Amino acid sequence: MPQVKIVPKNFMDMVAALPASKLDSLYTNTFFCEAVLRSLPPVSKMYVLRMLYIDAAVSAKLMQEWVLPDSFSKHKAAIDRLLQLRVFTESIDRKREISYRLNPKYQENLRKYLVHGGTLSREPMPSSVTVRLPTLEELDAYALQQWEVALSAPFVCLYFAGNLEKCFLLQLINSSLVERPTNFSPSMMKVFQRGLITTRDNEAPKLTENGFRFLLMETHTQLWYIMREYISTSEGRGMDTAELISFLLELSFHVTGEAYNMNTLTEVQQIAIKDLATLGLVKLQQGRKESWFIPTKLATNLSVSLSDSSSRKEGFVVVETNFRLYAYSTSKLHCEILRLFCRIEYQLPNLIVGAITKESLYTAFDNGITSEQIILFLQQHAHPRVAQKAPAVPENVTDQIRLWETDLNRVEMNLAHFYEDFPSMDIYEAACDYARELGGFLWEDSKKMRLIVRGEMHEEMKDFLRRQK
Amino acid sequence: MGGQGEKGRQIKRLKVSSKDDFKDFGIDEDTDFADAEDSSRDGLQEGKKRDFTKLELKLDHSNRPLWACADGRIFLETFSPLYKQAYDFLIAIAEPVCRPESMHEYNLTPHSLYAAVSVGLETETIISVLNKLSKTKLPREMIDFIHGSTANYGKVKLVLKKNRYFVESPFPEVLKTLLRDGTIAGARISSDQASTLHGDAFTVSKTMGEIEGGHQELLDEVDVAAAAEEKETHSFEIDPAQVEQVKQRCLPNALNFPMLEEYDFRNDTVNPDLNMELKPHAQPRPYQEKSLSKMFGNGRARSGIIVLPCGAGKSLVGVSAACRIKKSCLCLATNAVSVDQWAFQFKLWSTIRDDQICRFTSDSKETFRGNAGVVVTTYNMVAFGGKRSEESEKIIEEIRKREWGLLLMDEVHVVPAHMFRKVLSITKSHCKLGLTATLVREDERITDLNFLIGPKLYEANWLDLVKGGFIANVQCAEVWCPMTKEFFAEYLKKENSKKKQALYVMNPNKFRACEFLIRFHEQQRGDKIIVFADNLFALTEYAMKLRKPMIYGATSHTERTRILSAFKSSPDVNTVFLSKVGDNSIDIPEANVIIQISSHAGSRRQEAQRLGRILRAKGRLQDRMAGGKEEYNAFFYSLVSTDTQEMYYSTKRQQFLIDQGYSFKIITSLPPPCSGAELGYYHLEDQLALLTKVLSAGDDAVGLEQLEEDTDDIALQKARRSVGSMSAMSGANGRVYMEYRHTSFCRTGHGKQPGQVQGKGKPKDPNKRHVLFKKRFG
Repeated sequence: MPQVKIVPKNFMDMVAALPASKLDSLYTNTFFCEAVLRSLPPVSKMYVLRMLYIDAAVSAKLMQEWVLPDSFSKHKAAIDRLLQLRVFTESIDRKREISYRLNPKYQENLRKYLVHGGTLSREPMPSSVTVRLPTLEELDAYALQQWEVALSAPFVCLYFAGNLEKCFLLQLINSSLVERPTNFSPSMMKVFQRGLITTRDNEAPKLTENGFRFLLMETHTQLWYIMREYISTSEGRGMDTAELISFLLELSFHVTGEAYNMNTLTEVQQIAIKDLATLGLVKLQQGRKESWFIPTKLATNLSVSLSDSSSRKEGFVVVETNFRLYAYSTSKLHCEILRLFCRIEYQLPNLIVGAITKESLYTAFDNGITSEQIILFLQQHAHPRVAQKAPAVPENVTDQIRLWETDLNRVEMNLAHFYEDFPSMDIYEAACDYARELGGFLWEDSKKMRLIVRGEMHEEMKDFLRRQK
Repeated sequence: MGGQGEKGRQIKRLKVSSKDDFKDFGIDEDTDFADAEDSSRDGLQEGKKRDFTKLELKLDHSNRPLWACADGRIFLETFSPLYKQAYDFLIAIAEPVCRPESMHEYNLTPHSLYAAVSVGLETETIISVLNKLSKTKLPREMIDFIHGSTANYGKVKLVLKKNRYFVESPFPEVLKTLLRDGTIAGARISSDQASTLHGDAFTVSKTMGEIEGGHQELLDEVDVAAAAEEKETHSFEIDPAQVEQVKQRCLPNALNFPMLEEYDFRNDTVNPDLNMELKPHAQPRPYQEKSLSKMFGNGRARSGIIVLPCGAGKSLVGVSAACRIKKSCLCLATNAVSVDQWAFQFKLWSTIRDDQICRFTSDSKETFRGNAGVVVTTYNMVAFGGKRSEESEKIIEEIRKREWGLLLMDEVHVVPAHMFRKVLSITKSHCKLGLTATLVREDERITDLNFLIGPKLYEANWLDLVKGGFIANVQCAEVWCPMTKEFFAEYLKKENSKKKQALYVMNPNKFRACEFLIRFHEQQRGDKIIVFADNLFALTEYAMKLRKPMIYGATSHTERTRILSAFKSSPDVNTVFLSKVGDNSIDIPEANVIIQISSHAGSRRQEAQRLGRILRAKGRLQDRMAGGKEEYNAFFYSLVSTDTQEMYYSTKRQQFLIDQGYSFKIITSLPPPCSGAELGYYHLEDQLALLTKVLSAGDDAVGLEQLEEDTDDIALQKARRSVGSMSAMSGANGRVYMEYRHTSFCRTGHGKQPGQVQGKGKPKDPNKRHVLFKKRFG
């Protein structure tokens, strides 16, 4: 994975950042306990299960003996994680011996969960009420469409709005949005835009470096980013962060495609579910009397770790050894994303044809996109035809993309100072000698009495030259 | 590399030396980088991008293999179940732009449609088949374009009867249209039958209408039976000397009635038959069969060009064609070596008697006995304008007099147009077949071939042949050799502008990489290696230093033969250095590695031709197929000095091969850092000595060749340079051949043991791949 700062590795990083009291209160929810357990690294999982029925604290020394000496780093990481999530609590006794025990609330609820299993606070609605629910395929398509519209609205529009020559694109995208209107709350828009789009006064909105990177990420990663922003701003909208997190996690335990009654939700949850619907996490439907929500794949995969690829949608990009790129897509968004790093040459009803060129890549690099992100994007979205092949993207193309990037880094800029018009040869020579002494001498032309010295020596050189006068 | 930015536009012609055929064939080289196709691709800027999203998708589009755009571009999915049929069809009607693995691109052009019509496709057939294959409804513009381009095609034929040329058409009004043109009217010879002064009395005769074959399987609604009716044809005779002008006037860019040339050889009772058959062991491969079927589609022989990759068996196609026509055949090759090879091929594949085939070169002047036979000669021998010996004069007269059934022309891409004209004006033939691997030239003269010989009849897809195991699967690599500090400093100096090429070719890092590769392939894989260098100074320096034999322009025929046979048979001679002379038609089937240390600027054709030297498939078929243990058994290395002109040229050169689906792996760390003094020029003082040598050599030895037409060359001074006359150099008179002594070889960092290269298992496993191609960014 690319090291992109703006992406939390997973949901649990955010959970770990919650204040202790909030976290403790969350552990009363059995689903939350299970979600936390699932997210743990294997060693941590084992420790939790080992300690589940031990009511006393276990000394750290004893636990160290559970592992072979060379796996100590793993052990350390496991313990750290458990402490971060407050699954373990640490205590230090008088002899300065450290010991750990499970968070009592967590322990209690997880035991309960093991014995009784989990029951959702709501049951799927009977089919007699809901009549006809969308099929899973329809639901997937719906989710994807919602998600793309959600994305393309704030990004593409704003980006191209500022770009006069591409105005016609704006119109295209606008008209397509009109056909499928969404109820975007301004608050959600703000959430999206934060950090990805800069809006300065008197200036057209512009995508930031992060914005470009964001567009190249996988749907799953993008979803995480949006959800994190959504959660972290929830307080401002009068929502309790802890409640929101536990609701989202609970949502991930619902069954995709089943209908759940809206009246089982709290008031806060009802507001949240509408936002989630605009993102495509759930589909809302209205019956004669009652209304219900249907979780989509996006929602049920929320708690799945990032590396899980089962949720990945089918790829569409074919890259050829001659640097030509064919994308099986009807999506305007895809076209705009591809345009970030390649030259679009043909647009057909269900195919986009482009070429990866040095120039197109340099534009991408200028915008802060890295070669790794581009390659990863191409690999992750490889068309099933080519995805089975050993390198889904031809090796010579990936190599070349990397080489073009390293080419850009061959020249390093360093500040230097250029001195000329020396009053006499003596002073010039003295200055040269002095620069050599300082170790900052770079170049000289004794005939014309010119000298270049490293930038950081400038002050010393100035002093020296002043003294010469 | 899909066409980046700047284009240096250069036009140049090399001196054409055509004294005799010992000298290299007067290869008319090409450096103009912008051909029609390239510029159209480059002109496609972002602003002008083509938006065809409004085309209507058919409901069952996923079952159909192609998209057609209004501007003539066609995209073909190779994984479609209909790919094979669609490919055969598209190659007949459109020009391939690029053919990598998954998606092909084609361009519909007037020329390609002309070719389509001349192999017997009709306008409505083209449109309805295209419509069947297309995922979308055909754009209106494309239908109009096809109509517009083909409305007049196929209506006029040029026929040779009893040594007289006739223009023939079933439509007298078309002939009248033609005669309104001054050139054609001037070329007309009024015959006895057309006795009046009125120009509209034509000779009338009857011929059988033709039944076309080919794409019927795709076309159920086309009525086949309707075509086979007797048609009246009208004709008039034209002056043989003006045939070419007449043909040119009829081309799409002029009168737009392109003439078809067909030879009804079965009904030709005037010319004596030549009794020759293919031997039973000569089994044409499917694609050879296909190309022949395009030529003999309707029971007659069409003139045209067949494009097959080097090593794919062009000669068998040629011999087969001659065997079908069974008339006297004149076979033209580029040099004496390939004349020998062609004569050998005729004897190998056909039942022709030895006394029916003869070679005509400055060495051997044979004549065949009987009234029909095969003559193999060179273009130069026929086109030679100077004084000939009495003996040759007799033979030439014989060639001039005869009415040839088939004119077989090898490597048509290297022959300059004026030479063709000369040859064609001397020889009269019913049917002309051109063979080539690379129908690209950096100049525009490729289109000349369209009317000089005929349209392209067939072009094979390289990757399909590789997949079928018919040609070798070549791993191509571009090796980046950084310039050493000292060489680069000199390279940048203005006063060395004439030595730039010598400097980047003699870059010590390049030499070391080359030596490393030679050792690796000789010792670890037991390969046979050809090293190509255009720059003669470099060729001699490298060959002397590494003690390898070399062949260049001045090497005599006998010496060439001796070196090549040593290379073929001796286990001690595994590497041979070749200058440009090795680019075309020297057949060295044993070689499977090419190292290119210097090349002719941006010539895509040279790159492809050189690659062709190792394309002949070796080993057992099942090993070579995808997944076999020797999937890659041939290697093509192009060594380039980074940050020099070479990098730019190299990108250009590779374009053709990249369009055929080849990919160039870039290798940046050769020789490996662990290698030391065992490779040459390790020590700085050696490098400096070399530098001095390069700098002190005369400009004529290392720099520009004296070009004949320097007036044309003002624009290309910055880019073009090539070899000088070798006689100007001392110490390199002839070949250098010495035994190679094995020395210790650095293996650390190349942990691969010799056997492992041919390792078992899945070839895609990166560990099993050739050591140099292992993934660099692990």
